[in-house]
Amino acid sequence: MKTLAFLTLAPPLLGGLILIATGRSLPRRTCEVLACGAILASFAAALTAWITFPGGREVLTLAKWFSAGPVTASVDVLIDPLSLIMAVMVTFVSSIIHVHSVWYMRGEEGYVRFFCYMNLFVFSMLTIVLADNLLFLFLGWEGVGFCSFALIGHWYQDSFRGHAGQKAFILTRIGDVAFVAAMAILVTNMGTLSISTIDERVITLSANGALVLGLLFLFAATGKSAQLPLLVWLPDAMAGPTPVSALIHAATMVTAGVYLLMRLFPLLAISPDTMLAVAVVGGLTAFWGCLAAMSQRDIKRILAWSTISQVGYMLLALGAGDITGSMFHLLCHAFFKSLLFLAAGCVIQVLHEEQDVLGMGGFLRKARPEIFWLFLIGALDLASIPPTAGFFSKGRVLESVLAHPGLAYRLLFILAAAGAVITSFYTFRLMFLAFAGEPAKPFTHHAAVLPAGMARVLWPLAVLALIAGALNLPAWAQSAWTGNGWLEHALATVPGVAPPEHGSHGNTAELIDLGAGIFGFALAWLLYAPSRRPGVQALVSREDGPLGMFRGGLGLDALYRMVFAKPYQALSGVLWKGVDWGMVDGAVMGAGSAFAWASRMVRPLANGKLTVYLTMLVAGLAVLAAVLAGGMR
Amino acid sequence: MTAPLEHVLALALVLFAMGAFCALARRNLIMILLGVEIMLNACSIALVGASLKWQSLDGQAFTLFLMALTAAEASVGLALFVHARKRAGTLDSGGFSSMKG
Repeated sequence: MKTLAFLTLAPPLLGGLILIATGRSLPRRTCEVLACGAILASFAAALTAWITFPGGREVLTLAKWFSAGPVTASVDVLIDPLSLIMAVMVTFVSSIIHVHSVWYMRGEEGYVRFFCYMNLFVFSMLTIVLADNLLFLFLGWEGVGFCSFALIGHWYQDSFRGHAGQKAFILTRIGDVAFVAAMAILVTNMGTLSISTIDERVITLSANGALVLGLLFLFAATGKSAQLPLLVWLPDAMAGPTPVSALIHAATMVTAGVYLLMRLFPLLAISPDTMLAVAVVGGLTAFWGCLAAMSQRDIKRILAWSTISQVGYMLLALGAGDITGSMFHLLCHAFFKSLLFLAAGCVIQVLHEEQDVLGMGGFLRKARPEIFWLFLIGALDLASIPPTAGFFSKGRVLESVLAHPGLAYRLLFILAAAGAVITSFYTFRLMFLAFAGEPAKPFTHHAAVLPAGMARVLWPLAVLALIAGALNLPAWAQSAWTGNGWLEHALATVPGVAPPEHGSHGNTAELIDLGAGIFGFALAWLLYAPSRRPGVQALVSREDGPLGMFRGGLGLDALYRMVFAKPYQALSGVLWKGVDWGMVDGAVMGAGSAFAWASRMVRPLANGKLTVYLTMLVAGLAVLAAVLAGGMR
Repeated sequence: MTAPLEHVLALALVLFAMGAFCALARRNLIMILLGVEIMLNACSIALVGASLKWQSLDGQAFTLFLMALTAAEASVGLALFVHARKRAGTLDSGGFSSMKG
């Protein structure tokens, strides 16, 4: 098991390092094979580990790191079903994305940089997934942040892309501050940073201590997972290449925050207030994301906001105490959202970098049916139409929220159900606009020809997006041949996992989920079906008018600009012109001119008359002699 | 019989003052050097007198060195004056004011 854990972690790191060191002198094909091979090797190791894992929980020390005072940090990995399933998912999705990006980046120059960061990203992500020591986990946590920054700004020659990378980095750093603070509290209060030890000793914490720790970790997670209040970086992160959006901003990194909270679930669970905070953040973000997604015109921004919203659903399930539901939605979301993003990447390349859904139209469906079908599968998942995986996972989320007692959870359930309707609405809006009817901008060129593999490699994801619901069917759908809640059983030994509380509500949640999906579809049909859509001009003005009101993300960006950026800018101006120029420079220049003035004053003494100098010399000597004589007496 | 130290010192003082006055008041460089020489000789007299008074050879030995020094100083100084006269065309102390502030 130790070897397998090592073999899971090492190849992406090695691949990245080799690419850093020698990538520029290797032939292009070698680089691509190296990058993809590293991830595939890692996937094979993770899969083997998962299959051969006997169950239970194991902490393996791969290497010593350092020990200082109460802090002991070593390269420990925590192997349990949760981490293994997550590792398998991450490596699987990453493999497909890597192979896809070989084609996607075919015309690009910076491919060494791209693949190097992609490999290092996967390594960092696996570190987060497998780490037992929180400090080791933090290494990966920062690593994914850095790689995300570098990959978003991949085309840094366009300054807005570089700025988007910086924005992502800075906003996630704000969350990281909370992470560091939480680690400091853990060290002083519990004397350990090991997740497994924390799980055991969690009962020794006071209620307030647990609340503070839980909220700090929640804040850290909101940064990484793009939740309220730190969600504004994700839509801008779409400036990166599309496979990056699929890898980092859909399947893996944004779920790292949720995963961290799952890992630390025993710590969260002892304080009901923390759980409520997690659920409220999740529920509000889920709704917020839906509203903003509804108003976007850029296909990638629609998907970005939908990611924010879906990650919100994961947090909501976690806040309702249901790790299994949260993990279920995380897995299904990883499959269908990376599928959607990669298919969107194909769409964008087919249409020569067109990202505006109003500029697409039915032409694409006829020209490239395969991409249409792939995208449709992902969209059905997102809109939770049975029998796709998304239907079952979102149903499970709704079910656990409904089953949780308390008025707040009732309200959150209503919010989540309304969100599900809007989700379905904007998903089908996207489908109708991008794949049916007349585009707002007529095409002037042919559809670009893509390499055949680019779309074909997505089929495994599409199949999983269709059938992953079978991982954990709800009670009413279980029978002898469909199996029964595999994920439920697999995760049963993970600390904090409770048996599902369903029963009293039967299949209400699933029915609401289904109803939401159909209702959303009907709404989208009324507004966007090709036969019912207004003319092109009216459509554009409607989209930019009443329906575009949430395009700015409900004003959060503007709010931050007003509350933080503007005062900071004003303060910088004062510090620059007032303090630096006025005070610091003024003091230095003032001292200089004082000396210049003093020297101008004494200059007449040096009048060039030798006699005067001699007189001064003798007078000085006389004074000196007088003083010495006085001292001798 | 020996002269009392007070007399010797008085002579040295008068000589020193005259030398200093010469060095400060005259404008000719040679006269200034002359004044300095007189001041140095006044010092020598004071040292010899003190040597006699305390019956110690130190002061006389010092005077020997002082004589060598004065000779060296006069030769270097006069050589410099020759050079300065060639450059500036004068030996007036006011003629060398190119470094005035």
